[in-house]
Amino acid sequence: MSATFVRFSLRQRVEHALVMSLFIILAATGFPQKFSDAGWARGMLALMGGVEAARWLHRFAGLAFALLALVHIATAVALVTTGRSRPSMIPSRKDFADAIQTLRYYLGASDRQAKFDRFDYRQKFEYWGLLMGGLLMVATGLILYVPLVVTRFLPGVMIPVAKVAHSNEGLMAFLVVITWHIYNAHLNPDVFPFDFAIFTGKISRHRMESEHPLELDRLIGGAAPPRKDPENDA
Amino acid sequence: MSPSSAAPLFLAFALLAGGAVAQDAAEEETTFCLGCHGEPDFTTVPENGDTVRLTVDGKAIAASVHGQGLKCTDCHPGMGDVPHPERHVKNAAEFHAGFRDACKTCHFDKYALSVDGVHAKQLAKGNEAAPGCLDCHGAHDVAAASTPRTRISDTCAGCHPDVADTYLKSVHGKAMAEGNPDVPVCIDCHRAHDISDPRVTSWIVKTPELCARCHTDKAKMARYGLSTNVVQSYLSDFHGVTAKTSRALRSDATGESRVTALCIDCHGVHDITTTDAANSPVLRANLVKTCRKCHPEASETFPDAWLSHYEPSWSRAPMVYAVKVFYVIFIPFIIGGLVLQVLLHLWRVVVNR
Repeated sequence: MSATFVRFSLRQRVEHALVMSLFIILAATGFPQKFSDAGWARGMLALMGGVEAARWLHRFAGLAFALLALVHIATAVALVTTGRSRPSMIPSRKDFADAIQTLRYYLGASDRQAKFDRFDYRQKFEYWGLLMGGLLMVATGLILYVPLVVTRFLPGVMIPVAKVAHSNEGLMAFLVVITWHIYNAHLNPDVFPFDFAIFTGKISRHRMESEHPLELDRLIGGAAPPRKDPENDA
Repeated sequence: MSPSSAAPLFLAFALLAGGAVAQDAAEEETTFCLGCHGEPDFTTVPENGDTVRLTVDGKAIAASVHGQGLKCTDCHPGMGDVPHPERHVKNAAEFHAGFRDACKTCHFDKYALSVDGVHAKQLAKGNEAAPGCLDCHGAHDVAAASTPRTRISDTCAGCHPDVADTYLKSVHGKAMAEGNPDVPVCIDCHRAHDISDPRVTSWIVKTPELCARCHTDKAKMARYGLSTNVVQSYLSDFHGVTAKTSRALRSDATGESRVTALCIDCHGVHDITTTDAANSPVLRANLVKTCRKCHPEASETFPDAWLSHYEPSWSRAPMVYAVKVFYVIFIPFIIGGLVLQVLLHLWRVVVNR
């Protein structure tokens, strides 16, 4: 039996690499605009060649992010509806039970850890947070990109509304990434210092047993362990 | 009286006497010069046949700020001997140019500033109409330049009548004419001696700073019920961020390529009005026209994108405020929850060991 399992397809790994790069570019070009009075912001803007250059970089990366989100959603919907992939990211009642069980375990009220399937509730939370937050950023970003077009159909106050939402949602996304994501992918003692799964696509049998036992059961359950086709996973 | 205590007294007497002697000498010299220059129609003729008047009004000198203490030759060195040394000048302009720098002997600080001014640069380019010290301050009748304050804009109006006229109709100009000491006159914005060319980008982009000098002054603005938040609210919005951080700012280029919008692009410059005046470019009814100066495709609702320098609140822009409040609660809630879960996990890891 193989010592590693394929966890992420090439498409998923490329998607992660792209969203990571775009997130960094968007944060690096966006926050200096939000905090334009700060010294570090002025320095970064000067480095990029002025606020105009930062704005164009931000818009370009934003459009790429929007395209990536569209392709991702279209692909996921197509794969799930044609039955080529399990809807493994859809939240279920079990996720809420798992969350409560995990909290009980952390607090010492229970000695039993929740058993997770392909994605645990934390990963689903982060995925849907990124997707929903990303769509909000795309929508508000587009409003701020073409305010003159938007105000032909919507009231003018939508521009400052979009700005406040875009600016705060961006800040929240950044804070989530530097606390939650950095912890789960790097600082968590289980994976420290670096969870390579999303880059190599592979995960060890040991980690499958402790982190995704239900998925492991499904994969090797029965006499002949069937290889799951990772290419067809949303 | 001991000799030691008499010494300062003696010194004071000597100084007083010296001052009196200097004054006497000045008066004596003036009287001597006016012997010829006090004659009406006293003239000289340069090479091109111009007529240059040499008559000086003795009463004007006496009434001027220099009337007490300065001798004629302090400003006209080399003219102490009669007959005067012969001068070869082509025309009246060249004749007067000979006295242009007379003031710098005593007022070198002002002279040094004026060298950087737009007028001196025009003069250096050969524009004979560009003013030197005397054109603004007067010559023999030189008086305190800013008393009364209306005198300043009158002086500038001598060469810039159209701008001065526009200014006098503005909210600042009207108040100035009524003797209001708070409002800016020409030199408060343009400066007096080191006047910049107002068309260069590097100067125009400083206008938010210029306006801020008074419009962030709490005591001054309180007298007129005006907000001091106008500059900060501008600087934190899109146009203000551009003005603060654009690279295009520091060029000395003139023309249309400069960054917008600055205070003056919406409120006007010399024609500035109160924001509730019927013809104010920032009155809501007129605002779309103002936006269209740069955004010709702006719709009627587009100006509502700008909150008119107001901070969002429940009464002003409640939707914007609601979103703001939502995130003030939501961000700490989410981040706090996640951090708490991280800490709980770490605690469990430690306990398990």
